[in-house]
Amino acid sequence: MLTLALPTGRVMKEAIDLFENIGLPTKELRNAGRKLVVQENNYRYILAKPSDVPLYVSHGVADLALIGSDVLQESAIDLVELADTGRGKCRIVVAGPERMVPAFAGHPSELMWTKVATKYPRIADDHFSSLGVQVEIIHLHGSIELAPALGMADCILDIVQTGNTLQANKLVILQEVRDVSLRLVASKQSASLKWPQIAALLKKIENLKGVVGNAN
Amino acid sequence: MNINRLPRGCTNVGGPLAASMDKCRTNFMELFSSFGYRPFWPSALQLLESAWPHLPEGYRQRLIALTTPYGEPSCLRADITLAAVAFLASHYAPEQQPLRLCYADRIFKRAEKHENRIENFQIGAELLGWEGEGADIEILWLLLRWLDEIGLDKSILVIGDVTFLNYALAHVGTAIAERLSRSLLEGNLSEYRNVLSTSDIPEYSRNILEHLPDLKGTKNVLEQASALLGSSQYLMPLRNIVKALSDLGYEKRIFVDLSLARELSYYSGPVFRIYASGTSGQEIGGGGRYDGLLNSYGLDGQAIGFAIDLEEAATLALPPSGSHRVMMWCSTLPPEQALKRAGTILSIGLNGEMSWNKNRNQSYESASSRNCEWWIDLGRETVTQIECGKVMPLSQWMREEYTC
Repeated sequence: MLTLALPTGRVMKEAIDLFENIGLPTKELRNAGRKLVVQENNYRYILAKPSDVPLYVSHGVADLALIGSDVLQESAIDLVELADTGRGKCRIVVAGPERMVPAFAGHPSELMWTKVATKYPRIADDHFSSLGVQVEIIHLHGSIELAPALGMADCILDIVQTGNTLQANKLVILQEVRDVSLRLVASKQSASLKWPQIAALLKKIENLKGVVGNAN
Repeated sequence: MNINRLPRGCTNVGGPLAASMDKCRTNFMELFSSFGYRPFWPSALQLLESAWPHLPEGYRQRLIALTTPYGEPSCLRADITLAAVAFLASHYAPEQQPLRLCYADRIFKRAEKHENRIENFQIGAELLGWEGEGADIEILWLLLRWLDEIGLDKSILVIGDVTFLNYALAHVGTAIAERLSRSLLEGNLSEYRNVLSTSDIPEYSRNILEHLPDLKGTKNVLEQASALLGSSQYLMPLRNIVKALSDLGYEKRIFVDLSLARELSYYSGPVFRIYASGTSGQEIGGGGRYDGLLNSYGLDGQAIGFAIDLEEAATLALPPSGSHRVMMWCSTLPPEQALKRAGTILSIGLNGEMSWNKNRNQSYESASSRNCEWWIDLGRETVTQIECGKVMPLSQWMREEYTC
C-alpha cells in the first residue's frame, strides 16, 4: 500500500491527470466530492491544502506527494525530491506598479527597505538576501495584488501563470525569481524502505516526461 | 491562570512521556555501561574557537552563540561527539584507547526553518580509537539490542557507506562532485539527475552514479554495487557489518542504501539512520564512522558513534499508562511504619505511590482515578484489585501475583 498526498486547488486536476497517465487508479479520486481520504486498490490518496502537503509526508502519514515547488521551498521541510514532473508550470516573480521599474533596473541599493507583500516570506527573504538587499516583508495570505494599490506595499512577490491578474491590478513584472512546477516528493523513510515501489512510479513519470518533451 | 512560559523552542517534559524517556535513558545507560561504555557528562557550553574548526558546515550554521559572563565567545553544545573526542584527546594516553563513552543529555541548535525546537534530548554512544575490526559491529549491535529492549523491535537500520560515493566521485570534476553530493545530502534527486545529465562525467563514474539512487534494498545490493565498481574492496567494511548483524539475528532489520549521504567532510565510512517502522517519516537517529574528526585532534584509529532523539524514541516506546501501579494507603500507621512496609512491597519490582489520606474511601477513589491497578491497605495488610474489587491478604497477593 502506498499513500500519496496531493494538493487541492490549482494543480489538483493536473496531479490527478498525472496519476492516471502513470497507471494509478483515479476513478474514485476524480469523484472524491467532500472526501479527504480516498482508497483505490493498493493506493490511498490524501487530499490536503497545498501548504499542508509537505507536513503529511514529513510526518510519515503519506509516503509520497505531488506538490508545487513554490510550496516545497517555502515550507523548507526536509523531504526527498524525487522528480520534477514538468507539470503545473508557473513562475514566481516580483511585480509592482510601473513607477517601481527604475528602482528594479538600477543598483540593488535602491531597493533597500522596499516593502514587499507576499505569501512566500521565506522565498522573498532568500531572493532579496541573494541580491544583498534588506527589504520589509509583509506576509499576506491572499489577494496579494491589492497591497501596492492600497499603499500597503511597494511591490509583491507572487506566482504568475498568465499574467492576467497582474494586468488587471495594473502591475508589471519587475524581476523573475524562479520557475515553479509540480514535484514528486517522499519522506526520507519511504525513499529508502519503499524504494522499489517508488522507483517504478518514478520511471513511469520520467518516461512520460520524455513523451511530453518529444511531443513539444 | 498564570502560565510559566518558556522561551520559544524550549520545552518541559512531564507525565508519561517523561517516565518513558527516563526508562529509555536508564535502559540505554545500563546496557552500554555493562559493555564498558563510560557515562559522559559534557559541559553545556563550548568555546567557539574550539568547536568551530571541527564542525561540518551544516552544524556551524545551527550553533547558538553567546558570550559567557567571563567574556568568552562560546556556543551552546550542538553536538556531544565533539566534546567526547576532545575529552579523549585531553584525558587519555594512546595506550588507554579505545575509549567507549555513552551519554544522555540536551543539545541545542538553532531551529530549522520548519520547526521551532532549539533544544533536544539526545542519547548516544561513541567508540573511539580502535584500529581493528569489530567496533562498528559492536556499537550497532548494542544499538539494535537497546531498541529491542524498549519495544522498538521493528525499527529498521538503514546503512550505507560514504566511501562508495566518494569513490564514485573521485574522477569527477570538483565543482560537479560538489553539486552531486550536495543534491544527495539535500535529498534532491531531481537535481542530482539534472546535474548528471548536463555534466561531463567519465563513463565509468557516470555508470556508478546513475545507478546509485537504485542501490537500495537487502544485502544483495552490495553484490550489485561491487559489480559496478569491478571490485568488492571498497564495500568490505559494510559487507562485514551486514553479515555480522545478520548472523546476530538482525538480517530483517537491516536495509542497505548506498545513496545515503551524510556530511561527506565529517563521515568517513559506514553511515546509518534508524527508522522506527510504521511511524514518523523522519529518522529517530543516526550516526557513522568519523575517523577524520579523531585525526583532527591528532589521534589515530577509528571513531564511530550515533545519537538518538530520546524524546522521539520514548514517544514511540511509550508503555500503557498505569500498568502495575500500586497505591499504598497508610491507614492509621505512623509514617515510618507505613514506609517500612511500602519499601518491602516495592522491593519486588513494582511502581507505587503512598496515600497519606486519612479517609479510606477517598484514598481508594484517588487510586482508581489515577489508573492504579492495585490498592493496598498497609494497616490491614490487604490488597484490592481496583478493576473488579477483589480483596486478598497482602502475603497471598505477593506470593501469587509477583512470584519471581
